[in-house]
Amino acid sequence: MIETIYIEKKIKNHPRTKFILNKFKKSRLLEIDKYTEIFNKRSQNFRIQKANPNLILAHKNDGFVLPAPEGFGIGSSENFYFSHMFNCIYDCRYCFLQGMFSSANYVIFVNFEDFDISIKNVINKNINSKITFFSGYDCDSLALENVTGFAKHILPLFKQYPEVDIEFRTKSIQREPFMSIEPMKNVIMAYSLMPDLMSSSLDNKVPSISKRIKVISDLASKGWKIGLRFDPLIYGQDWKFLYENLLEKVYNSIPLESIHSVSVGPLRFPKKMFKDIFKLYPKEPLFTGPLSNSKDIISYDMKIEEEMSVFCKNLTLKYLDNSQFFRCFA
Amino acid sequence: MIKGDFLNKMSIRWVVALKEEAKAILDYYKMVLVNEKTLYPIYKNVEETHWLTISGIGRHNSAASTSYLYTISHAPKWTSWINIGIAGSGKGDYGSVCLVDKIFNQNSNITYPATMPKSNLPKMSLVTTDMPILDYSSKELIDMEGSAFFDIASKLTSKEFICIMKIISDGPRDDIKQLTKLKIIQLVRSNLSKISEVVSYYENLSENENQIIAKPDIFYKISSNWHFSLTQFYQLENLIRRLDVFCVNEDIMELIKHCKNSSSVINALNSKIENSKIDWSDV
Repeated sequence: MIETIYIEKKIKNHPRTKFILNKFKKSRLLEIDKYTEIFNKRSQNFRIQKANPNLILAHKNDGFVLPAPEGFGIGSSENFYFSHMFNCIYDCRYCFLQGMFSSANYVIFVNFEDFDISIKNVINKNINSKITFFSGYDCDSLALENVTGFAKHILPLFKQYPEVDIEFRTKSIQREPFMSIEPMKNVIMAYSLMPDLMSSSLDNKVPSISKRIKVISDLASKGWKIGLRFDPLIYGQDWKFLYENLLEKVYNSIPLESIHSVSVGPLRFPKKMFKDIFKLYPKEPLFTGPLSNSKDIISYDMKIEEEMSVFCKNLTLKYLDNSQFFRCFA
Repeated sequence: MIKGDFLNKMSIRWVVALKEEAKAILDYYKMVLVNEKTLYPIYKNVEETHWLTISGIGRHNSAASTSYLYTISHAPKWTSWINIGIAGSGKGDYGSVCLVDKIFNQNSNITYPATMPKSNLPKMSLVTTDMPILDYSSKELIDMEGSAFFDIASKLTSKEFICIMKIISDGPRDDIKQLTKLKIIQLVRSNLSKISEVVSYYENLSENENQIIAKPDIFYKISSNWHFSLTQFYQLENLIRRLDVFCVNEDIMELIKHCKNSSSVINALNSKIENSKIDWSDV
């Protein structure tokens, strides 16, 4: 239940605004000039807002498509991301969003058509390169799909550009619109996964790993390409046993030919971000692990990162080709 | 106050314009006058968890008394700040209590309180004016203090810890001239159960925040036994907070009992963290 919805005056009559408001008939509506009047102001507490977030409907003015951070990619030479939303309905303790924003309210930018224009511009400017777009870097790309309809909106655009890949990265078990339409070869349905034991402690309000695997399996059977994202890799007692169980379970539940790529990524935070997150959750077990500071990045020791990546890679190569495995560092 | 005084204590600070508005609150929370000679009257309960000041009417008084209460009461970081009072309304029902979720002042500045308690109380916008106004048309709530209180309180804490509640006392059908001191007292008293329900949310918020912010006891014990530089203090706090999640105090003390100086304490604690492996089945 969203108690209050703030709406920028500029988009109060936008059809998508009306479409979204129609789903929250009991919420109190407040008109605002700019979403920044509410979002990410000083003197806000992310943790407390996260317990009962409100929704902000806004118009995005610029920065629709941005280059993906270095080390964030699955084989293309050019990587870009876009976010139709800020923040996420889930509450994962390792998530960088909790350190990036001081506000936990959800912002949905309703002018999807401006994303379309920017995406087309980027494609046209990089016509000779292999491009991948990542949807939902600042949010989960599908968790609120039934409210926003963003994936349903953007898929037809990518149908026009079969040589350009788009990845929807999610922890949700959202099946639509994907189960209702024909699979597209340039769409990667990427799922973040970690061993159940860790997920049940760290992935708050997120569907269980087994539910995610079930949806992956259904989408794969329908013909969608699947990305598996073991990112971040979480360390702890029996981590080898836990990751081995998870990887074996996944590779034995999904048709292997449906797997587009597998990536692993380390747990890393910029120092300032870690400080902010640690302040919010000082009793979080994740932060009791062997994390240390190296060049203003808080992470596990390099040896641990390396050992975990190699372990997952070796397991993966029992099932898949080396060219399908990627290590991400962003 | 010494650190032990804060442990597990919530902290509430009230800013109320009129004594009549405060009467029922003072009784309910058992607050008594602290001292006759303060700049603004200050009340507190025996546990010193609730403090209240009578600000008088107007934005300047509200701002000044909020700052004054902050200083006099040594309000800690986890304090919840509450402003309650009567208000005119062109839309609400006489006698009903509302939560404020949008605040305008006469300079057209708009502010928005943040996350609010889940409550059945209506939420309304508040206009804070410098002069009493009788044109209630289209205005949800009108008062003379709210925006100034919010401006100052939001410099003292994060917005989630600030609450403005208003009880509708006058409007197009309820002439302000009919408002008496007794009626004001009764307006607050008749809403006490709803008010206390909201306040209990802020009490819990404050208590939880205190528990999160408070340094573990063992931090004080260690920092008094060795001499730490300022940088080491931060390192120590960080390490102790992390160790405190999975080590009992005795184990931590055992680790460092032979340490000769602060550096060796930091090294010993660091080494424990570096070699820790979380047992996720135990979390």
